Amino acid sequence: MLDLAANIDPAVLTDRIDELSTRLILDGVATLCPLDFERLGQTAAGLGNGPLADAAQRIGESIAVASTLSVPELTRVVSSGLVELRKLLDAPAAGPATAATPSSSCASHPASRPDNPLAADEGLIREFITESSEHLATIESQLLLLERDHTATGALHSIFRGFHTIKGLAGFLEFAEIQSLTHEVETLLDLARTSQLAVSPAVVDVVLESTDAVRRELAAIAQRLAGNTPAPTQVDAALLDRIRQAARGEPSSPEPCPATEEALAVEPMREPMLQERRTGDSSSVRIATAKLDQLMDMVGEMVIAQTLIGHSPALESVSDALLQRNLTQLARITADVQRIATGMRMVPIGLQFQKTARVVRDLARRAGKQVVFEASGEDTELDKTIAEELSDPLLHMVRNSIDHGIEPPAERIALGKNPTARILVSAYHQSGQIAVALSDDGRGLDRDKILAKAHKNGLIQHGAQLTDNEIFLLIFEAGFSTAEKVTDISGRGVGMDVVRRHVQKLRGRIDIQSKAGEGTTFYIKLPLTLAIIEGLVVLIGEQRYIVPISSVREMFRPTPEMLSTVHERGEMAMVRGRLMPIVRLHRRFAIEPRAERLTEGTLIVAESEGRPFCLFVDSLVGKQQVVIKGLGQRFKSVAGVAGCAILGDGRVGLILDTDGIYKGRA
Amino acid sequence: MQASTFPQASVAMPVEPGRRGGKYLIFHLGAEEFGTEVLKVREIMGMQDITTIPQVPAYVKGVINLRGKVVPVIDLRLKFAMDAQEYTPRTCIIVMRTRQAEEDLTVGMIVDGVVEVLSLTASDIEGTPDFGPGVVTPYLTGMAKIKGKVKILLDIDQVLASDELGGITGTLQ
Repeated sequence: MLDLAANIDPAVLTDRIDELSTRLILDGVATLCPLDFERLGQTAAGLGNGPLADAAQRIGESIAVASTLSVPELTRVVSSGLVELRKLLDAPAAGPATAATPSSSCASHPASRPDNPLAADEGLIREFITESSEHLATIESQLLLLERDHTATGALHSIFRGFHTIKGLAGFLEFAEIQSLTHEVETLLDLARTSQLAVSPAVVDVVLESTDAVRRELAAIAQRLAGNTPAPTQVDAALLDRIRQAARGEPSSPEPCPATEEALAVEPMREPMLQERRTGDSSSVRIATAKLDQLMDMVGEMVIAQTLIGHSPALESVSDALLQRNLTQLARITADVQRIATGMRMVPIGLQFQKTARVVRDLARRAGKQVVFEASGEDTELDKTIAEELSDPLLHMVRNSIDHGIEPPAERIALGKNPTARILVSAYHQSGQIAVALSDDGRGLDRDKILAKAHKNGLIQHGAQLTDNEIFLLIFEAGFSTAEKVTDISGRGVGMDVVRRHVQKLRGRIDIQSKAGEGTTFYIKLPLTLAIIEGLVVLIGEQRYIVPISSVREMFRPTPEMLSTVHERGEMAMVRGRLMPIVRLHRRFAIEPRAERLTEGTLIVAESEGRPFCLFVDSLVGKQQVVIKGLGQRFKSVAGVAGCAILGDGRVGLILDTDGIYKGRA
Repeated sequence: MQASTFPQASVAMPVEPGRRGGKYLIFHLGAEEFGTEVLKVREIMGMQDITTIPQVPAYVKGVINLRGKVVPVIDLRLKFAMDAQEYTPRTCIIVMRTRQAEEDLTVGMIVDGVVEVLSLTASDIEGTPDFGPGVVTPYLTGMAKIKGKVKILLDIDQVLASDELGGITGTLQ
């Protein structure tokens, strides 16, 4: 029976448990009901996992009688229950060996075998292979250049960088063979780089030989990844010796002849392996982002052209059913093309999570803490640029959690917690945005300590009334750190302000929820893509401008009693008891407006670094999603303009930068 | 490659490119006719709505949408400090592709009208006469006299040089 359960697909159960954990952390225990666990129990029973079914049933019952427990108590009961469920799930399915790997990443590759140690990092390794192969190709071409011209320092540097990158990646993924080999080569090249060693043909030979060896290793890794057992490859010690010899500047010993023969003998074996790797890669193509941007531009134009045709007045008098049908078809196809073109920049966030998993493992080991890392929502797609920008903040937050949040095992036991802490990262869509939540079950943020520290550093005034969230957000201030001692992991006070900077750069926002003794959750909300914003189109004279919706608070037509002036020059508006300065955009941009009097136009309440102010425009046109375009190098210093976008009729509209307008107000 | 090794070369001999024979697009500003290498012309379009940009010199009229690409447009009359004129149906925008600082730059220029495309041989082209002090002619590469009329040949890369376009950086701060 148990075997049966393992064979069917424990992923269903894993997913279900993950989902419950996520809800528990994000929405609170109150949203979980006994029925959830009853269903889980039924699924488990259906899969033949009896113990799990019983355990789930027990948790369901404990919730049912929970009216006597407080929320934190109940949360603890349920979360420890879920941990137990997870253990039960892992036990029959895979054994203790895979318990430490993120369970869901196994689930996303159902084809991989549990006994394949590389499967957990499959995406990373594939990326490593592709990237390294590219570096090897560059290295080889540069080496040939170097052989012709021994003084080509540029080539030497790029070869060094290539090996350095491969070494770094190999070390990260624990491919010791490649790491040690590239390390030796790097040492050799460093000598050449610093002119302590002349680039002799022998040096070039030995480096070329090393690239072949690395390539053999990569092919073998690809084989192992595919589940095959390739002939054991080993970087022969002779090669390492020869590299060291070359580094000492000695002519290579008389033995390279047999060695090259050996390399030749390997050749026929290596060729088919490389071939196989190439066919494996053929399902994807690397494209320059410039080309994608071009495609996006053209698709945008196609949509505009299609709209212009569709709304052309000349068509209204035409009653040809076939033409109408074809036009509708064209509209549908255009929309599809646009969707696909936009989607081409999207990548699943899972790869970033896998990197995080690795970091968690290493950091936890170094900090002497026990941590399980779990991820959910890896398939959530977002813009590639955003995904890449996200990896730094994730890293810093994980560091913060492990270093400051999670208690050492002994302390956790003393507190009655599971000695193994959990870090859960999840990604999901929320109202047109991507939300990434990273939570730990550590000691939580210390509100009073943060406040005290903020006072000491002069970040806040004494007696300032702050909400919990506002207090927690203080840890993102530059130079803020509550760590009592500086560790090599974090605590230098540089981590969290990096997080905020990155998130702000991505036009996202960050929030923290934390309870003392129970843990901390960081929420990052990000736009789906950096390329599109929601904008308010406004009219001033003949010109249309776009105000990003994210910086608009409200808009209204002012009445005379709301308005006042200072020295007959500075104009102010009283909005809900608050005085706000008015910036006349037409004066700022020197345009002839249609409405000179404030009461004839519209005021838009915008915000600059928390301070509200009013923008005076003629009228509103409407709300529109626009694709952001840069104005180019030449106009980058125009204050108050963030970029431009093509409007629905094909004309260009400038996107306003409210911060710049506020700062430059006269 | 060579330009980067000897940056002064292109400045010291600005006459050189204009001396080349080849096809030239001839356009006019008032009574004066100008020529520019046809190879650098991307397209010629009628006047259209231009989105103005604040805080730029008067000759920078703004930007237009050229099939999804945002392209800056300058008024060549204003650039050459000639009197501004009402746009007529003959007024058009010549979209040029120039190379500035290792970067392709597409810029539109407003002219009074396009005249013709001429094939000029190197012998048709004369150097720029010395107008004496006070008349600076950094954009001119030569003069061509065809059928008794003088065409002024422009070094369009110099006319549209990005620091010329965006001399705004200094005026802003």
